[in-house]
Amino acid sequence: MLLLVGTVPVQPGEVFEGPVSFEKGVFKVGQHELPPCQGSAAMALAAYSVTNAMNAPAPYVLFGGDTGGGEGTRAVFKRFESVLASMVERHVAHTAAGGTEPLVITFHYMLPIMSLMKHAIEIIDRLAPQALLVADAGGMYAARAAGLSGRFELLTPDVGEIGFLAEKEATHPAYVAEYLFGSENFDVPTLIDKAYELGTASEVLIVKGSKDYVAAKSAAPHYIVSTIDYPDVPELEAIGGTGDTITGLASGYLSIGQETQDAAFGALAMNRRAGQKIGAQVFTPVLEIIEAFGATMHV
Amino acid sequence: MALRMTDNYENISAQSQNKVLLMFGSVLKALQAEKVLKVADIACELLVPPLELRTGCDLAIALDSYEATFAKEVVEKAGLVITDERLNTAGTAQLSDVVTTHDFEGSDGKNYLMVRAGNMKITVERSSGLIVNTSGGGCPDIPYLNLMLVGKTLTDAPHPQTLGKTLCGLMLERAFDEAQRLCGAQPEGSTCVSASEVSA
Repeated sequence: MLLLVGTVPVQPGEVFEGPVSFEKGVFKVGQHELPPCQGSAAMALAAYSVTNAMNAPAPYVLFGGDTGGGEGTRAVFKRFESVLASMVERHVAHTAAGGTEPLVITFHYMLPIMSLMKHAIEIIDRLAPQALLVADAGGMYAARAAGLSGRFELLTPDVGEIGFLAEKEATHPAYVAEYLFGSENFDVPTLIDKAYELGTASEVLIVKGSKDYVAAKSAAPHYIVSTIDYPDVPELEAIGGTGDTITGLASGYLSIGQETQDAAFGALAMNRRAGQKIGAQVFTPVLEIIEAFGATMHV
Repeated sequence: MALRMTDNYENISAQSQNKVLLMFGSVLKALQAEKVLKVADIACELLVPPLELRTGCDLAIALDSYEATFAKEVVEKAGLVITDERLNTAGTAQLSDVVTTHDFEGSDGKNYLMVRAGNMKITVERSSGLIVNTSGGGCPDIPYLNLMLVGKTLTDAPHPQTLGKTLCGLMLERAFDEAQRLCGAQPEGSTCVSASEVSA
């Protein structure tokens, strides 16, 4: 079962809660129609493409309307405990009926407020200590800034964000001073090592770039367990939402019971294959890539 | 390159001691304060606040200490509340400042330029300056800015800083500025400078 926590760029402060649906290009959370855009919407739709293909329960969403002021972020965290409690009840019933899939919670686009993330993790550790946690975007920033990265099963930085995990005092990617993408000392494998040595990496780590990396704490001291650079679709980097879809796919795969490293690698491969399938261009909307996931999964 | 952080008070430089650091509770309010200070002709700088003052997405303003009294009057008159104040800039740092570019050739025969500033990217069609995508980031104004910018030209689109409220929005503003600089802001007849021309 999968709980997605994030924001969408509409109606600041409003909360949208319910299962994801996607029919004829219309994205809904419960009864609310939301824009199928970059960000948590793209992440949720990618996760849905996995659960839908596998006839698994649709991801359950807790999104706040937020255009940067943090109103939706705060509203979501305010409701988080009650939503998690009901998810846990359903998961317990599912497990009692023989289900073996884990409860997965993904934190995504949000204003990175350390204190809110700390509180959310306290709630999770109390109500759902076995839950697998995933974070990307503002959720990952908040987790890292709060010193909680190690509690997460999977973080999904891109090359512009891995320096932030590897740098001792960076609490936001905009603060990175030393390991900047494009600077001379930027080297992804070295930064992965540094992040694990600092304790700022998750159990499994995806680093998204022209070459994608999957690393694992369990693979110390080398950490990197796989890389993928084919098919090579460099245009994906310019398309807003293609990092979000990787997080969504990986969350979806985890929620149907895949091992984390397999889920990570599968998400990276699926994103590339879908990009190649539709001949992605820098101007391609992310929705076209998401729509290609379904067909690609059935190949 | 970005400055390194100073993490103890022994390292406070003379320059740091002559500065005052003001906090406003949010990136948006710090950006608003910067704007009113500039209008009032008060030189100031946006800085990463010291670790102990950060909540997750923060920005501070540094200015010369001799201007502090007047500056506080100006920002308070603008309705902005100073939430914290330090009499030096110890522990502060500069925002990430490396900007990179990448060229793409589209299947439509057009040339595209992607500009990256920190964790944010903007991609434009070279000949027209049309914004075809924005990507990266993780703060909640980024999907909103994507909706507001894509499909407009660098000349017609709102500056990300006018709509953005976070550090990711500020980084997108820097990428936008650089794209404007490379492409020119004129609606017609402008052509982007290539990455190789820039580095030369």
